Amino acid sequence: MPPETTLPLETVAATATIAIDRVLCTGHGICAHVLPDQVSLDEWGYPILDDTTAELAAARAAARLCPARAIRLRTPG
Amino acid sequence: MNRTDVAPSGLLAALSEAGLTGRGGAAFATARKVEAAHRHGAQLIVNACDGEIGAAKDGWVIEHHLAELVAGAQLVAPDARRIRYAAKRDSATAQRLRAAGLPVLEVPDRYVSSEETALISLAHNGLARPLTKGEPFVQGGRDSHGRRIEPSVVLNAETVWRVAQIADRGPRWFRAHGTPAEPGPRLVAISGAVPRPGVLETEAGMPLRTLLAAAGGLADGAEVIGVSGLSGVLLPRAAATGMRWDSGDLGRFGGSIGPGILHVWDPARCPVEHVDDLLQYAAGQSAGQCGPCMFGLPAIAADWHALSTAQDSRAADARLERRIDLLPGRGACRFPDGIARFAASARSLLADHLAAHAAGRCPHRDRSNHAA
Repeated sequence: MPPETTLPLETVAATATIAIDRVLCTGHGICAHVLPDQVSLDEWGYPILDDTTAELAAARAAARLCPARAIRLRTPG
Repeated sequence: MNRTDVAPSGLLAALSEAGLTGRGGAAFATARKVEAAHRHGAQLIVNACDGEIGAAKDGWVIEHHLAELVAGAQLVAPDARRIRYAAKRDSATAQRLRAAGLPVLEVPDRYVSSEETALISLAHNGLARPLTKGEPFVQGGRDSHGRRIEPSVVLNAETVWRVAQIADRGPRWFRAHGTPAEPGPRLVAISGAVPRPGVLETEAGMPLRTLLAAAGGLADGAEVIGVSGLSGVLLPRAAATGMRWDSGDLGRFGGSIGPGILHVWDPARCPVEHVDDLLQYAAGQSAGQCGPCMFGLPAIAADWHALSTAQDSRAADARLERRIDLLPGRGACRFPDGIARFAASARSLLADHLAAHAAGRCPHRDRSNHAA
């Protein structure tokens, strides 16, 4: 069996590191809906990053849907 | 003195060996910044704004060591046309720099306007408001709105002066001062309730008592010593007079040497009301860019005010505690982090005093009334 097929699933799942541009962020809060495991909102509606790593497709969706274009992604490698 | 013969590699080795770190508060390794500045041909902004409350040492360097400062700046940015000196608009420091024929970057008199990236923005004809940090601006880049930022480095005025001194006298001279963790001579501004406020030449590891004695000692009844202004912490007199001025001892109170400021609080004023004033001031100084700062700072100020005036104290204290945790790491700059640190320190140091306020009385007034 080729070694790559034995890799556990989580090591092959693509992830991204999320950062928020606080100057651009205007607190729409869409990121908290798209990334509920990573982002919660403070009492004023601004994101709190509980975890900076997210599944790539969801992270990309959050970045695309952010009306303020305030989500920055970094992909490993 | 002839510094034109200092090879860039020799300078970097000397700065690295000396262990010089930024004297504006962040304490980043200066050798690394200067190396990057050389590599990218960065413009240099010498920060002489004394932006923190109680700061005075940048102005002192301009007043007393301008020639060495200019020499140090040219070691960081060999092309003199790439150097500017940032000073608060209409300040004595700005006038001195102009009188010396130096290019001055005039900075509006607001708390966050002298923050590193606020100066970079201003230097690019933008507003003096902090920028979101991605890759370091020393290599150039773009701000959040896509505006081009040319390679830029900001160094505090004392830091640049120390660069010249190290080039001149060597790292061994530098390391003969201070502690292994915080080497070198450094400046501290002492103000407030002391007979002789001013800027002292000293070093890390000095007993705080010695520094205060050099300013004439604490005024009678002074109980609170502020370290590093609004981005710092408060020390109780008893602990302060038994500790050293270094980040080990100050760290036990959540503080650090920071930008080199000690302020003895006026014993004639209720410290809870003093904090109230400072937090109200801080709330008005947000650049209004980042939500957690724009909304969080006024909220914290309102919580403290409610505490100090015995309105709904228990709920106000719970809100304050929760909101202090909401601020750090959530702004383009560290202003909200500093205010969170300051408010947490004040809440802890003045807990008994706040409890008395919650019960509708002020121990400070009680004492003043007895004295009268």
